[in-house]
Amino acid sequence: MFKKTSLAAGVAAFTAILFAGSYVVADADKVDFTAMSAEELAEYIILESGGFHLDAAVQEGGTMRARMEQDDMQKACSVVGGGKPDAATLEAVRTAAAASITYPEGGIKLGDWQKGRELSWSGFGFRVGHRTDEHSGNRQPGGNCANCHQKVGDRDGGTLGPDLTGYGKARGTSDAMLKYVYDVIYNAHAYFPCTQMPRMGAQGVLTHEQIADIMAWLLDPESPVNQ
Amino acid sequence: MFKQALLALPVALALGATANAQNAPEDVLQGLIDSIDSSYLTQSEMNIMMMPDSPALWLIDDGKELFHEARGPNNVSLESCDFGKGPGVLEGAFVEFPRYFADTGRVMDFESRLVHCMKTIQGFTDDDPAIRTKHGNAADITKLQTYVASLSNGYAWNPPLDHPMEQAMRDAGEVIFYRRAGTMDFSCSTCHAATGKRIRASVLPNSNVPEEWTKAVSWPAFRVGHDNVRSAQHRVGECYWQMRHAEPVWGGTGMTAIISYWNDRARGQPAILPDMKR
Repeated sequence: MFKKTSLAAGVAAFTAILFAGSYVVADADKVDFTAMSAEELAEYIILESGGFHLDAAVQEGGTMRARMEQDDMQKACSVVGGGKPDAATLEAVRTAAAASITYPEGGIKLGDWQKGRELSWSGFGFRVGHRTDEHSGNRQPGGNCANCHQKVGDRDGGTLGPDLTGYGKARGTSDAMLKYVYDVIYNAHAYFPCTQMPRMGAQGVLTHEQIADIMAWLLDPESPVNQ
Repeated sequence: MFKQALLALPVALALGATANAQNAPEDVLQGLIDSIDSSYLTQSEMNIMMMPDSPALWLIDDGKELFHEARGPNNVSLESCDFGKGPGVLEGAFVEFPRYFADTGRVMDFESRLVHCMKTIQGFTDDDPAIRTKHGNAADITKLQTYVASLSNGYAWNPPLDHPMEQAMRDAGEVIFYRRAGTMDFSCSTCHAATGKRIRASVLPNSNVPEEWTKAVSWPAFRVGHDNVRSAQHRVGECYWQMRHAEPVWGGTGMTAIISYWNDRARGQPAILPDMKR
């Protein structure tokens, strides 16, 4: 499980530096931006300067501040200019991701592909601001899958992620395949450390049941994905 | 050059010669399309066709009138506003933002500078509709911004980095651009660091390709899907909403840092002002 403890320590240390450092002048609002590294200034701008609406309530409880503070994976995988961190860091991200995965009681099973189809298409959920997504009984967060993945011909999917058309056809529904697909949806960093794929299970976007439905959309021989 | 001037002539006449007479926005876009193979630049044939009739062009005239009119509690025009190239100098000023201003001691994006002048010169306050209304065609800020921006159409983006504060904000903006956070672990670079990728049907601009990126950062633009002219700050806000991140404060340090990095990535390529977007 990703913890924010190390981050919190980092922020505390940074704050200490901030108030002891040379770039603090008499007026507390007049911090000298040019005396900070780009990374320090970015953290300061986001978390300390009032540059973002951090007090906004968020759907998972608490406020935006918690979302904007990076956890270990987010910190390790943010590489300025693009690219991946070193091999040791990637391995640490992979190990932590594998440990984050929890499984449904009674094992991994395919759900309802028709529900999975809608979940896969839905980009609803967790947006906050001008219009805030109200999670309620009939409107739960979607999987956002189609934003990045093509899966069927009748709806335009994105191309940021791999094309999943016919995904289950060649792969079947063995226990090993079910576990692999479940893991990738839950926390893809367990296989692809520092992937751009969101951690749908680990971050609480999708429930076990919703993941089972999306898995059915991908793997069920009856699903249009595999026709 | 000669051919471009000929093409621009009817447009200039149609606009009452208020726009930069060098080039029409659609000509600037065509020049970019001719210079690079880009599915982002060419994705909407319909929008390219509609550009000569863009509703944003009408805002140029409205904005010009507002700019030169004596307004606000102080009953003066904005002609003495310094957009960085001296009071009243508007030609080419827009593409040299964000910029450090000694009179405020901070780096400001264009919109923040405009609001600063409306307050300090004309005497408007945050509660006046002229300042409070920030979105849409009807907002004074949209009209004024579209007018001044149009006077930089075809000019190469050239945000200054001479002042240490300008460099600091640009560099922090770069870190923020690549900084993953939030429910979905997104950063700006999730969508804007590769060429020809799509979110659903929309082709995304790559921040590493200046010929594409200049269109991405060319705001104000008429946003067809919104039926309104939108600003750079509005676009940043939309991206942050979709990323499930916190909303940047209008005119705040986050906005300024992000736009400093944005405009720097388009450096050297001509701005399309006003642009038309999906």
